[in-house]
This record gives sequence, structure tokens and C-alpha cells, in this order.
Amino acid sequence: MRSGIIYGFVLLSIIASSCMKDDELWQRAEVAPADSPSGVFIVNEGNFMYNNASLSYYDTETNEVYNDIFFTTNGLPLGDVAISMSIRDSLGYVVVNNSGKINILDINNFEYRGKITGLTSPRYIHFINDTKAYVSDLYAQAISIINPALMELTGSIDLRNNASPYNQHPTEQMVEYGSYVFTNCWSFDNKIMLIDTYDDSVVDSMEVYLQPRSMVMDRYNSLWVLTDGGYEGNPLGYEAPALMRIDAATMSTEMVWRFDKGDWPSGLELNGRRDTLYFINGDVYRHAVLSESAPEVFIESPYNDSAAAGGGFYGLGVDPYSSEVYVADAIDNVQPGVVYRYSHAAVPVDTFRVGIMPGSFCFK
Amino acid sequence: MKRKAALILLILTLAAGARAQGIRDSVFTVPVVKVTAGDMFRPASAGMKESRVDSIIINEKISSSLSDLLSENSSIFIKSHGRGALATASFRGTAPSHTQVSWNGIEINTPMSGMVDFSLIPVYIIDGLSISHGSASIARHSGGLGGSVEISNEADWSDTFSGRYMQGIGSYSSFDEYLGISAGNRKLQVKTRLYHNYSANDYTFVNRGIANIDPSGGQLVNPIDTNHNASYSRYGILQEIYFRPGSRDILSLKYWGQDSKRTLPRATSYEGPDNSNLNSQQSHDHRLTASWEHYGDSSRLQLRTAYTAKDLDYVLKNNIYGAGLIPVIYSQSSQSGFINKVSYRLNMKHGIKLEAGLDAGFYNVSTRDTVSGTGYEQSRFELSSFVGLHRQFADRLNIRVMMRQDLSDGQLLPLIPYLGFDYRLLRGHDLVLKANIARNYRQPSLNDLYWEPGGNPGLEPEKGVSAEAGLEFSGSAAGQKIRAELTFYRSDISNWIIWVPSYKGYWEPRNIERVLSQGLELNASLEGSAGRLGYSINAGYAYTSSVNYGDTGVWGDESYGKQLVYVPLHSANVMARISYGGFSLGWQYNYYSERFTTSSNDISRRDWLYPYFMNDLSAGMEKEIKDLVLSVELKVYNIFNETYHSILYRPMPGRNYMLILMIKF
Repeated sequence: MRSGIIYGFVLLSIIASSCMKDDELWQRAEVAPADSPSGVFIVNEGNFMYNNASLSYYDTETNEVYNDIFFTTNGLPLGDVAISMSIRDSLGYVVVNNSGKINILDINNFEYRGKITGLTSPRYIHFINDTKAYVSDLYAQAISIINPALMELTGSIDLRNNASPYNQHPTEQMVEYGSYVFTNCWSFDNKIMLIDTYDDSVVDSMEVYLQPRSMVMDRYNSLWVLTDGGYEGNPLGYEAPALMRIDAATMSTEMVWRFDKGDWPSGLELNGRRDTLYFINGDVYRHAVLSESAPEVFIESPYNDSAAAGGGFYGLGVDPYSSEVYVADAIDNVQPGVVYRYSHAAVPVDTFRVGIMPGSFCFK
Repeated sequence: MKRKAALILLILTLAAGARAQGIRDSVFTVPVVKVTAGDMFRPASAGMKESRVDSIIINEKISSSLSDLLSENSSIFIKSHGRGALATASFRGTAPSHTQVSWNGIEINTPMSGMVDFSLIPVYIIDGLSISHGSASIARHSGGLGGSVEISNEADWSDTFSGRYMQGIGSYSSFDEYLGISAGNRKLQVKTRLYHNYSANDYTFVNRGIANIDPSGGQLVNPIDTNHNASYSRYGILQEIYFRPGSRDILSLKYWGQDSKRTLPRATSYEGPDNSNLNSQQSHDHRLTASWEHYGDSSRLQLRTAYTAKDLDYVLKNNIYGAGLIPVIYSQSSQSGFINKVSYRLNMKHGIKLEAGLDAGFYNVSTRDTVSGTGYEQSRFELSSFVGLHRQFADRLNIRVMMRQDLSDGQLLPLIPYLGFDYRLLRGHDLVLKANIARNYRQPSLNDLYWEPGGNPGLEPEKGVSAEAGLEFSGSAAGQKIRAELTFYRSDISNWIIWVPSYKGYWEPRNIERVLSQGLELNASLEGSAGRLGYSINAGYAYTSSVNYGDTGVWGDESYGKQLVYVPLHSANVMARISYGGFSLGWQYNYYSERFTTSSNDISRRDWLYPYFMNDLSAGMEKEIKDLVLSVELKVYNIFNETYHSILYRPMPGRNYMLILMIKF
């Protein structure tokens, strides 16, 4: 009897000793296409605290998509909540918000080249020259200054005003105007700040409508700002979102187009000639910068019929060379999203699956 | 008639005493099997699957939290965010808010989110633990679409003055202290328990989320990192007073208070400033309940009143150059509940037994982020009325019918009906067929309705229609007791609430998912002894298919017909113990099949959790010195030092130890 029990124990222990397969996760493989002169990187944001942000690459000539290229090539996860990517020479800089860093990769073979760390809540990177770039930040109340050549944090531009919990200048996108940079303060804010890139200081600011979310500069030096208007219960207010045209030289508002209250426009982009605007507001809209009429629907969202059930386009990109339009659908945010490619005349060209929450595009 | 009532009371008292006795004395000796045929074939639970967690298991896991006990010893899957971190339940493939949890008859699911964090419930405070699978939970409350977990505290009506002190010392600066004292006689019983847990939880791991380029060779090197910002601490007190003025009445007053603090680790890929992205969470809980039970000649009346309060703060701070640590999220919430319950049982003519009850609960939630200024303040009044009838027919058939009618803020919810039966397949043998069919509803939580931004006041209650059937067997031979149970269930849940991203940019809860959850649960246990040798094995296996059949128009086709995220299709556990004289040896094994983290069930390496196998060992000895019993036990967790994750990229500790010293008198 007793020996039976002991045998039983030994047997069970043997069955139980099968081990878990962690090592297999981290094997690397080369995935980069041998020769791909034109393509687009899709930054898949991933879910907050899941560390599942990823990078996809789409060859615009062969229509081939390569998913999860950073992880597969390097055996290293891209990080947690990847917001944006910018290219300088042959290097791609991916800003990974909740990882507090920028991962740098070779845009041709996708190999890891290094990182810039020590960032609080980075959002976008803007290059001033080979040794200086600005990184906007949601929480730092400052813009970080980095040296991309040395991959180092070198300083910061203080935006602190110590006033209230709001209007603490969480910077988002940056656009260049001569030796100046405009940046929009989105979350719980309503400011556009002007920064002098010679001495890295704030020289001016202007108030816009509530929560300016994205911003571009057209070929006529007009600054276009898209606000989201907040939401019900937002302590800063809740108003109809706006598309604003601002004269960059005088920082004065030239034109305002108001949306309906409850709309949530996003993803303002320009074509390569910088004369046509695109943005998402349920559908994808298009607007010629010199036009006086209202923006027109360019691509209709398949979600219109079930608008009550949520869903909608998540990211938008316009090819600077061909003016083709790429629209990303994050579906339920917890499965790989889909990208739809359209010609400049809104004719569907291709559809492909990417990673979780495709939010931004970076053209090679 | 009077004698009958006295007999019932006596049996109840003995049962309570026996259980308490089991807990006090069974740490290193396997007690006699308490499961009897009467337990299995009771008209009051006809068709219901109710499992009482064995006191051997409660004792073995005394220094753990309820999350560990349930994940290792029941068919409930626990999604744990790490050692000492948030742990929520998925019972029969359902959502965390579909498992109702009660403490001495009082629901402790928070009115805000509707769920329970099982990592915050220490096993110290548990005397009795039972699990009602699926529709069995309707006997106690609505909304348990997966089932319910009942924690109880019981008095031991003997002349005693007893106590025990336990000290645990473990890896990663973990310290557990527990003191329990009970005193009393046949009329009055007083029990006090005090506890404290702390762990720095600073284990090291190879950080796969970070790589440094080796300057000489150019290859990528993952650093060895410490699990920073993961500490937790808990203080608590449980005070019970029981009073029995005569043979017909029992009065009790219970208070459970707990303070908990923990820091939450950052994403493993985080390489921002050391003094930024600091997350912490703090909670204070107070639960007070008084009850009066009165036994009539053929009836029992119970009145219960309770007040529960919970404060929960969550803070995210960043260091701002020149300004110090500035919070960017400072969320403060306070929740309270005032609950009153009356229940009545009556033995009627022809062997029919009646149960009726009325529960009234008033809940209040106030939540505000002091940084962003968003929040809401809402209350809800809930009424639940209940009628149940059960009867035994001949000696082979039990039938039970129940009806529950809920009223929420004056709005009548649909009726909740239940029909179940037990049928003894072989006369004189404990082989019973059990089956039930029922409908159930769960009200949206206050967050679902009012959260800012996104709360949706137009939400409908979630609806479940379920059926189950199973076989239960118990028997004994040659000093061994065997018990086995096999259950099949099918539950169709519609109007399932999930939070989805809306076109407005934030998330909103909607009644869009339909989930078909089907599966089987197999449990078996064997206990016995030969001379001074005692042994026991408890094993369980669950097959859980929980599949989304939501609106395809919204979801795209990839998530339709797929298993819900984080729900393993197969799960199994084994706990085996042997004891000889004062020595004991225990082994705990746990298995989950792969789990998906994407609704489309992607099996790309990065979005997938590989199958999980875990082995823990414990060894102990006990010695009596005069009136004292001294014992020492060593537990070894993760004996094969496996590298694994239970949440994507959240590394778990390797082999680790806990030494427990105990003095009992």
C-alpha cells in the first residue's frame, strides 16, 4: 500500500515536469525584403501595458506586407504604446510612449541600431539638424532635446506654468516654420506654442479651440489645426471641434470650420504637394487648402450604419510621392488591424492586415 | 416537533464545530473525510453543483491569498497580473464581474466595477469556502453568470481558549504574520484575527523588453533587471462575536477591516526616468455585519444587516524637473453599501420545504480624479425577492424550484427561474445524476453606466440561459474514500457588456457580445490512511470553450467564433499530500493550455501565452510540547525554476521559498 502511494507520487512528478517554452519566443529571423526602395512603415500602437506595440512594413511596389518586423528581426519587443515614427537618413526613430524611449532601427534591414532613453512620456520626434531633435511629451511639461547622432538626451525646454492641473502644455506634434517650431498642446489644453530653435526657448503662444489634437503646415505657410472639443464631463469644457487655419507669420486665425458637437475628428495629414488636407471624422475627409467650401467626404467609413455600435478608422497616412491614401482600422483594438490603400482618386488599391491598433504611418 | 428542531440545531452546531475543529487540527494530520452521502443528495441543493473546499486545502494555503487557492484548487481560472497583484476570476469562461463573491452572506463585489480582486482576500479570514457553479448561485443572488464564491466564518461552541500565531518568512523580503485567538463557552464565543503581509517582491529576471548593443560584438544583450515597484502590504483584522441566548437563537456580529497598499510595476520595456511613471494603489475596506438566526419548531428565520465601505486611490506620478513628483492621475473613489436581508425556511406538509427571502441593498459610489476633475457620483437601490421549494420523492429523487425577482432603482428585471433535480441512479449507492436549467441576469455596474468619459446609461442587463447535467459519486473501500464528479454545462450569454473603442476616441461599454460558454468539469479526490500514514489527492480538470458570437458588423470577422482572451481551453490541477506521524509532504501541480491575448486568437509568438505547467512542493513537521503544538513548514514554489508569464511580457518569479513557523495552543 505504502509503496504504491510513493510510486504514484514519483509517477505524477515525472508527468508534471514538462517545462515551459520561453526560449522559443525570442528566436530571431531576417525578414527584410532584399530591395525595397519605396514603402511605408505602419506603427501599431498596441495595448497599454501589454508591451505589444509592433512595426509593419508595406512595400508599395510589390504590395507585400511584412508584419512585426522589429520583433522578428531583433528578438526584442518594440515596447509599450508606440505613437509615431520619423526617418532621418537611413534610420527610423520609433517613439514608444509608455516605454519612455525611442527605438532606432535601420530602415532597410530593420536591425536595431540603438535607443534614446530617459524620456517621461514621449509622443513625437522632430529633427532640427543632425545633432539636435525635439521630442514632445505628454507629462514632462517640457520638450526634450536630444542628440540623435550620440543617441543622448541633452536638455529640455521648460513649458511649466504652475497654474492649475490643466494647461500644463502636454506637447504633441511639431511643425517647422523657418527657424521656429510650432507645437500643439492637446490633452486638457488649448494652446499652440512657438519655439525658437536657436536658443530652444518658447517665444510665443496662442489660444485655439479646445484640445488641438493634430496640426500641419501647408505650402502657403498656413498652419492647420484640428481640435477635438473635449467630451461630456471634461473639466476644461466640451464644445464643437474645429478645423482652424492660422497664419504662421502673424499667429492669427484666418478661418474656422466647426464640426458638430460630439464629433471626434483626428489624423490631420497633407499630401506631398502640401495643398490638400485629409482627416478622419468617422469617414475620411478631403479639403483643398485654398478652397472656401466645407471639407468633403473622400472615403466613406463602413461603420456608418452601425455608428451606434462604435468602431471607426483609427489612423491615416498620405503617400508624399503618389498622394495615395492609407486608412487604418483598429477593429476592436484587441486584434490585428486592417489597412486600406486607396489611389489619389479614392479607388481601392489593396487591403492588408497589420498589427494591433495601427495608428500612424511613416513613408520611406 | 420541538425535538426535531433541537436536533437540527444540534446537527448544525456539530457540523460547524467539526469544521472549525478540522481547521484547527488538520494542518499536519489528514482528518477523516467529512463528505457524506447527505451532502451529495440533499433536496435543498437539487441539481446544483456546489463544492465545498476541503479544510485540508484551506490549511495548506493558509498563508496564500484566495486567488492562489482558487486557481490551484478549483476549476475557476484566475487571471493574475503577478505575485501579489490584481487577480480576477473567470468562472466557466465568463467575465470577472460574472463571479459573485460573498462574505458571510454579504456580497463583496464592488458596486463600481462589479468585480472582486481575489489577491486582496487572505485565506486567514476563511473558515468555510464553498463554490456554487453556474446557476447554483441563484439560491444566493442574481448575476452569478459564471457562479459564486462564498466565504464564511463560523463559531465553535465549545469551552475553549485557543489560539495560534504564525510567522512566515519568504524570498523577496516577504513576511507574513498572523495571530488568531478564540475564547468562549456554549453561550458566547469571541474570535479575533490579526494579520499582516508584506513583500518587496523584488525578484530578478532577464528583461526581454530591453536590449543593449554590446559595443565589441554588436549583438543584443538583455539586462538582468529587478522587479521594481511591485511591493505590496496588507494589514487586517477580523473580529467575530457570537451569542446564543437559548437553544433557538444565534446572534452574531462580525467586522473585517483591511488596509492594502501596493505599487504597480511599469512596463518591462520602460527606459524612461527612474523617478517617473510611478504607479501606486491604496485601499481601505470596512465590512460590518450583524445577524440573528431564530429556529422555530419547523422553521428558521434569519435577519442580516451589513454596512460595507471601500476607499480606493490610484496615483500615477512623474518627476517634473524643478517641481518634483507631480501626479498626472490621482483617482479617488469611495464606495459604500448598506445591505439588509431577511430569509425564512419552513418545513411544510408532505415533505415540502419552502424558502423565501428579501434582500435590500443601497449602494453609493463617488469617484473623482483630482487632477483631471472627471468623475461621477451615483447611487443605486436594489431589491431582490426569492422563493424556493424543494422536496424529496421516495428516496431517489430530489426536486428544487426557485424564482428570483430583482428590482433595480424601481425598474423590474425579468424573472429568474431555476429548476433542478437529483436522481440516485442505484438504490443504496451514492451515484447521483444532477441536472438543472435556469435563466439569470446581471445588472451593469455603476462604472458601466456612469464612468466619465464613456459610461452608457442605456445599457441593458446581461442575460444568461444555461443548462447543466452531471454525475456525482462517492464511495469507500479498504479505508479509502473516493469521490468524483463530472459536469457538463452550456451557457448562452447575450447582451454581454464589453468596453469597445468608440469613434469618439475613448472607450464605451456596449451590450454587443454574445458568448456561448460550454464545457465540462471533472473533479476527483481520494483520501485514506494506513496505520500512521495518511494520504490525500485532489484533482480537477476543466474544459472551457468560451466563444464570442457577437455582432460581426462591428467586429470584423476575425473575432467571431473565437475563444475569449485569457481563457484557457484546458486547465488542470492536482494537490497531493502524504503524512506520517508528525511529518507531511505536499505537492501542488497546475496546468493551463495556451491563452490568447487577441480577440482573433492570433498565434503569433508575441500575442500568445504558451501552455503553463507549475509545480510547488511543501514539507512540514509538527511537535507537541505540553499544551503547545509547534510546527514548521517549508514551501518551495516553482520548483523547476521555470521562466514564464501569466500576462504578456510580465515576468514571474523563479524558484522561491517560504518558511512558516506556527505555535498553537
